[in-house]
Amino acid sequence: MFWRLVFQLLRGSRARLTVAILALVSGAAVISGLLNLDFGVEYQLTQQFRALGANIVVTPQPAESAPESALTNPALMHEGVVLSHLQQIASPNISYAPFAYVVARSQGTAVVAVGTWLDELRILNPTWKLQGNWISARNDQTRCLVGRNAATQLHLTMGSPLQLQYLTRHSECTVAGIVNSGAADDDQIFMSLQALQTLADLPGKISVAQLSVSGNPKLIAGVASQLSAALPQLQVRPIREVTDAEGALLGRIRLLIVSMIILILVLTALCVLATMAALAMERRADIGLMKALGGSISRIVGFFVAEVGVLGAAGGLIGALLGAALSYWMGLRVFGAAIPPRWEVFPLTIVLMTIVAMAGALPLRMLGEVKPAIILRGE
Amino acid sequence: MSTVVQIENLRKDFGRVCALDGVSFEIEEGEWIAIMGPSGSGKTTLINILGGLDTPTSGRAIVDGVDVGRLDESGLTRFRAEKIGFVFQQFHLVSYLTAVENVMLAQYFHSTTDEKEARQALERVGLGDRLEHVPSQLSGGEQQRVAVARALINHPKLILADEPTGNLDEANEKIVIDLLRELHAERRTILMVTHAPSIGSLADRRIDFSHGRLAPSMASLASERP
Repeated sequence: MFWRLVFQLLRGSRARLTVAILALVSGAAVISGLLNLDFGVEYQLTQQFRALGANIVVTPQPAESAPESALTNPALMHEGVVLSHLQQIASPNISYAPFAYVVARSQGTAVVAVGTWLDELRILNPTWKLQGNWISARNDQTRCLVGRNAATQLHLTMGSPLQLQYLTRHSECTVAGIVNSGAADDDQIFMSLQALQTLADLPGKISVAQLSVSGNPKLIAGVASQLSAALPQLQVRPIREVTDAEGALLGRIRLLIVSMIILILVLTALCVLATMAALAMERRADIGLMKALGGSISRIVGFFVAEVGVLGAAGGLIGALLGAALSYWMGLRVFGAAIPPRWEVFPLTIVLMTIVAMAGALPLRMLGEVKPAIILRGE
Repeated sequence: MSTVVQIENLRKDFGRVCALDGVSFEIEEGEWIAIMGPSGSGKTTLINILGGLDTPTSGRAIVDGVDVGRLDESGLTRFRAEKIGFVFQQFHLVSYLTAVENVMLAQYFHSTTDEKEARQALERVGLGDRLEHVPSQLSGGEQQRVAVARALINHPKLILADEPTGNLDEANEKIVIDLLRELHAERRTILMVTHAPSIGSLADRRIDFSHGRLAPSMASLASERP
């Protein structure tokens, strides 16, 4: 009888309750959308910031390396030592590559030659524009990439042979692609690490290791700290500009989302409250009658609490579904990538809306004051 | 016969207004009592106190051994559910519940619901074909019969009927009165407020009220047994 009566209560007041459920659905849709956004924003921001490139750099300690002479007399690290530690922390979220730099000559012109894992260049530098083809083989010693400035200076195009000289040693590769980075990389030539080490006679030596860690600033700092502990003789440095900007932006977006959620919860509760206050007045006669028939206030209020609970849960469920679509759309508009709905948003939205509906049903407390004798007299 | 209602020097004040002023009488089990009197004479106040909807200022109102004035809110609630069956002039059905659900509502507050029994109660008052109708789909007489079925469903010790035919046409009035006659024949105890002398005359006893007291000419009759 309890649920039968609750259903009839809902049916009997459907016109007025429509207002309440619309408020709940609207509130739930926006809250669900914002919650999905909140859960997804970190991933999206991480992806966005990862596009900026490496966010951790491993270099020799400053005492061993004077910046002004780094290219001419660079301090070097042992490739094996660094890579063995990087392999230990390897995960799908971490990309890394060693780099070795020398100033070589080509056609009588000095150019910076960079030896690295060619297959990782694209991952570590997702913003680079490339004319030509990426090199997928890590140690492809026959092909190389050339920065656009260097290509112009050396009159290179795709497929051109490129000869490099370092002291008395020579190396040759074919230009596979021309890099447009908008930065100093445009002046450099990228070849396989092994080829450069042979050219410079620096077997097993590297200048820098770059890591791109996909995660929040805390995770990045954690990886840096872990590496730093494992490699005390080297300097492991998160690139603060990127991680700090990501952290600050994430914090601001989260604050905005939480503020909006609170505001919407309050507004929804006020709307439900106004509806329930009117409903409580309408139902005074029914309450008076129920009391006269021997209904205890707890049993009577139980009907109405269940009623608003059903309203809140239904509003939360419908709103959560709409919110999933909303967050999908917002993700496309803001980040250019859809934010998929998170399963935990559904129960969270339903619980929040049920609590809001209950809070909005506070005017039903006045039903406890109803005097049946007065109501039944028609006053 | 046992005494179902025992009223001793009952008084009820609403501020400075005295609605009941030292009323005393008894009702035996199975009696049908008609309470009559002009408006404002205290009839409804008496019904409200006997039904546990109000409490006396002084005196005692004992129904089936329970002193209503001594009950707290919770006790009054149980008292209404278990001892009393109400029939109101305005019917007072829940508008969004069907006839059978209105009857089951009284069962629900009493103990547990039994839809079969509720249907039988409605069939008894001639509404077997109106079980699933909501009040707006029923005539006034049909609504009052639903109210009678609801009043009977928990087998109360006392049926309190406040102007049960006051809003009915002649045909429906007869139907409801016939129902009350049947209940009386079953030795149900009925206390009925009415303005109609013709209906009052059907009762075993008639008690007249005036200004919150038993009318002088009736005071002695009120204490007489049939």
